[in-house]
Amino acid sequence: MTVIAKVWIEPDCITCNACEDICPEVFVVGDDTSMIVAEARQDGTLDMNEGKNPLIVAIGTELGELIVEAAEACPVEVIKFEEAGGAEPAAQEVEVVAEVAAEVAPAAVEVSAGVSEAMASLLAQDRSLTILFGSQTGNAAGLAEKTGKLAEKYGLTANVADMDGFDAGAMAASKRLLIITSTWGEGEHPDNAESLWNTVNSGNPGMGSVSYSVCAIGDTSYDEFCKAGLDWDEKLESLSAKRVHDIVLCDVDFDAPWQVWVHDALSKIACVDESGTLLEDLIPEMIDYASDTGEELDDGDFTPGAISKDDIAFTLSLFRYSPETSSQGWDYIACASPEHASVQDLLISIRDDVDSSLAFRQGNSPGSMTTGLKANGHIVLADSVSIGSLVNDGGELKLEPLPGHPVVRDLVVDQSKFQETRTKAKPWLRADPRDGEYLLSGAPIGTMEPAVAASLHARGSTASDLLNQGMSDCLEYDPDYYGPGIVHRLWMRAEDPRVGVKQRKELLKTIQGEGGVWNETDLSAITRHGSDGRLVANEMRSARSTLLTEFKFAGKSGSHIKWFSRTVKWSGTLNETVLAAATLGPVRMLLNAPATIRMALGFTRTGGPLARDLQGWLAPGKMPLIVNKTVDKQYEVKAIYDAMDRRF
Amino acid sequence: MGLKYAYFPGCVAKGSAREVEDAMRSVIEALDIELVEMPGASCCGAGIMNQANHRLQLALNARTFAMAEEAGLDVLTPCATCQGNMYEDLALLLSDEKLRSEINDVLFRTCGMRFEGDLKMRHILQVLVEDVGLEEVTKKVINPVDFSVAGYYGTPMLQEGAVSEDDPHNPKYFSQLITALGGTNVDFEGATKSVGFPSLLGREKTAMRQTGDVLNDAKQEGALVMASACPLSHFNLDTYQVKAGKASGKDVRMPVIHLPELVAYSFGYMADRYAYLKTRAMVVQG
Repeated sequence: MTVIAKVWIEPDCITCNACEDICPEVFVVGDDTSMIVAEARQDGTLDMNEGKNPLIVAIGTELGELIVEAAEACPVEVIKFEEAGGAEPAAQEVEVVAEVAAEVAPAAVEVSAGVSEAMASLLAQDRSLTILFGSQTGNAAGLAEKTGKLAEKYGLTANVADMDGFDAGAMAASKRLLIITSTWGEGEHPDNAESLWNTVNSGNPGMGSVSYSVCAIGDTSYDEFCKAGLDWDEKLESLSAKRVHDIVLCDVDFDAPWQVWVHDALSKIACVDESGTLLEDLIPEMIDYASDTGEELDDGDFTPGAISKDDIAFTLSLFRYSPETSSQGWDYIACASPEHASVQDLLISIRDDVDSSLAFRQGNSPGSMTTGLKANGHIVLADSVSIGSLVNDGGELKLEPLPGHPVVRDLVVDQSKFQETRTKAKPWLRADPRDGEYLLSGAPIGTMEPAVAASLHARGSTASDLLNQGMSDCLEYDPDYYGPGIVHRLWMRAEDPRVGVKQRKELLKTIQGEGGVWNETDLSAITRHGSDGRLVANEMRSARSTLLTEFKFAGKSGSHIKWFSRTVKWSGTLNETVLAAATLGPVRMLLNAPATIRMALGFTRTGGPLARDLQGWLAPGKMPLIVNKTVDKQYEVKAIYDAMDRRF
Repeated sequence: MGLKYAYFPGCVAKGSAREVEDAMRSVIEALDIELVEMPGASCCGAGIMNQANHRLQLALNARTFAMAEEAGLDVLTPCATCQGNMYEDLALLLSDEKLRSEINDVLFRTCGMRFEGDLKMRHILQVLVEDVGLEEVTKKVINPVDFSVAGYYGTPMLQEGAVSEDDPHNPKYFSQLITALGGTNVDFEGATKSVGFPSLLGREKTAMRQTGDVLNDAKQEGALVMASACPLSHFNLDTYQVKAGKASGKDVRMPVIHLPELVAYSFGYMADRYAYLKTRAMVVQG
């Protein structure tokens, strides 16, 4: 087996296409010369690679022989390459390293063939990782368990431990440390974490040799959001521990942010060597290495019965985006799949059997929010939706990234903007003094009427704010807009009776202001997205209704609604002229003259009567319909207004 | 054919977009459909009024429903916004007995009317595809649509159930109609996307960017003409087309007509306007 580490093109290429014909995954022929494609290279650049940047390890391993064949076929011999580890096949050399490592470090894991020397060396060292959890209800413990299993993919040997009874000295001796902790009550550490926290907090043991990252779970309904995690993060830093990845603050919907954190934190902490140095250059290779192991999580003992369904045949239209070349397009693939296979199953098959470069987020357990995407127009979780529910036999299945988020590659979107916007909007609860009781333990607990709590819960209950963001058609056109997911969350906070008067005012001001609920240009675009879409749109409508009263129909949107409603009261029908004049004002009416004149005269640019109502405008006493028309029995309309809403 | 409906043209078809009304009259004449006028029907609220007071909008629409119910007819409208808005309100009133009772109390006190819910909302697209049938539509075609057309729906109508079983995310009715009229249907992403009409006056910049993308998308896919099932969205797509082009920085030039116009032209009505449309389409495409 030939493993190629680097390949480049020297000058004088005659662009004969031979190399591209043999190995198009690595070579592409341009106008003047052949080049090494960006997707095959670790630096992600498309050029002749005269700088001899290395190939992606998997490419060099799988296509090594084809690269050599292409070089040999080149009539002008301008294709040059370098095998991994010099003349000897890389795999043999790595095996030797692994054997040696096995003698000195029993914890070292099996090393895959095809990794770089530096990577092999890293993987042969002590690979221990300590994962500590502070958990009150089991959520943090569950995440720690999953994190431990995922760590194996990164060649780490994880020790998942309860903070209860864990020795502070052993913590200080850890080379790699991940902490996953919830926050309990009013910013307290969970019971099982209290002792260790108190010891470390008061004893201040040196942590200079520890590399760490923290995942904090909290509830934005509480004043001290994620305080326990923040305590650990700050304390470890103050004790000279090295933070390899920033803390993540998770709300009750913790799965999605945890998934982003765990992959980033593991890929970095796995690159910390024995001396405690973070080998940043190896991070891309580590990510590649972890994605190649193919191991799946065993999430429990649930073993449902087998389902047997017929295959359906369909055409898959798959969105592709390459950040290296900033190019996008569609792949069309003829597929046959059982109806009950999930979209994620389909994507895995395509990646494994058709195109290994396909990028998408894979969930670790059913219902993972990070698997959200757009399938035939529906916002869905790829791991939870069956193919049969989206496409019929002979139909087309169109898969696109989740709308409303920047695309990183193919179906992978960047969720960081959502998290940043969420942080900026502060949709969490900062309650004023409120009704509460003390538990036997002395811990305070807030109280709420059960019916109010149930209603609030139902109004705020959707699959995920992250997915809700994708329901708006205008989010991508308005950089200031928080998005429906965040606006809905802000509104639910404002409706929470635990919120004090001051915070409710602040929340309403945020929702009313730039970025808030009025930035949404069309609620009906949200409504069409099933029950979650209807709920979010209805709540946004509710928010608007409250804001119109609170802010007295302020702003252009408020004015628009007020004058729309008024003209209907006056005549039973919408008076477009009055509406436009009152909402825009005389200056903008003038600036908008072409559209205004077209509306007033009642013609379009497609051949309608040029001046249908001209006579009406010119003849005294005969007003055109657009200015003056009234429905029969308009007094009934007015009576309904008078009975139901006298603001107009 | 014996089809009969209570007619609800919508405010815009009676106001600034009276070409919709012209075309509707031609279409119903060709298909021998009987329309019963509802001169007392009020504005449906267009999804605007319900932001201030949904119960007020419900009462106004219940009044219109009661008028149609009295005539024993379903309601026909050429407007996607009216269809979506009134369908939603009708469904809500039918599913919530307590709410219906409260609205009926107001209706009775103010107008002496009651509403029971024995009617349906029908958009002209539904009527042509389901009630008339596309084969019958094709039989009436005199001047086939011999060019490529992009059908734009209007998001208010794209609600589950608002156009019968047509999938709100991947609707087919419009493309089937275009084909039945002899045209070449153009599938384009923007067919179901919002152009932001409800916020045209409040958030013009965003709405124009959305509009620009919808038009450009249709153009990129090869459409010569766009037909809109929503007279309100037509404002953005046609009247504001120049602004949409500037806001989006894209080529958006394209004749945009109303769905009833497309049908009326192919049925042989307003031949001069049809010729004008075709000429303009050719000129715009260069």
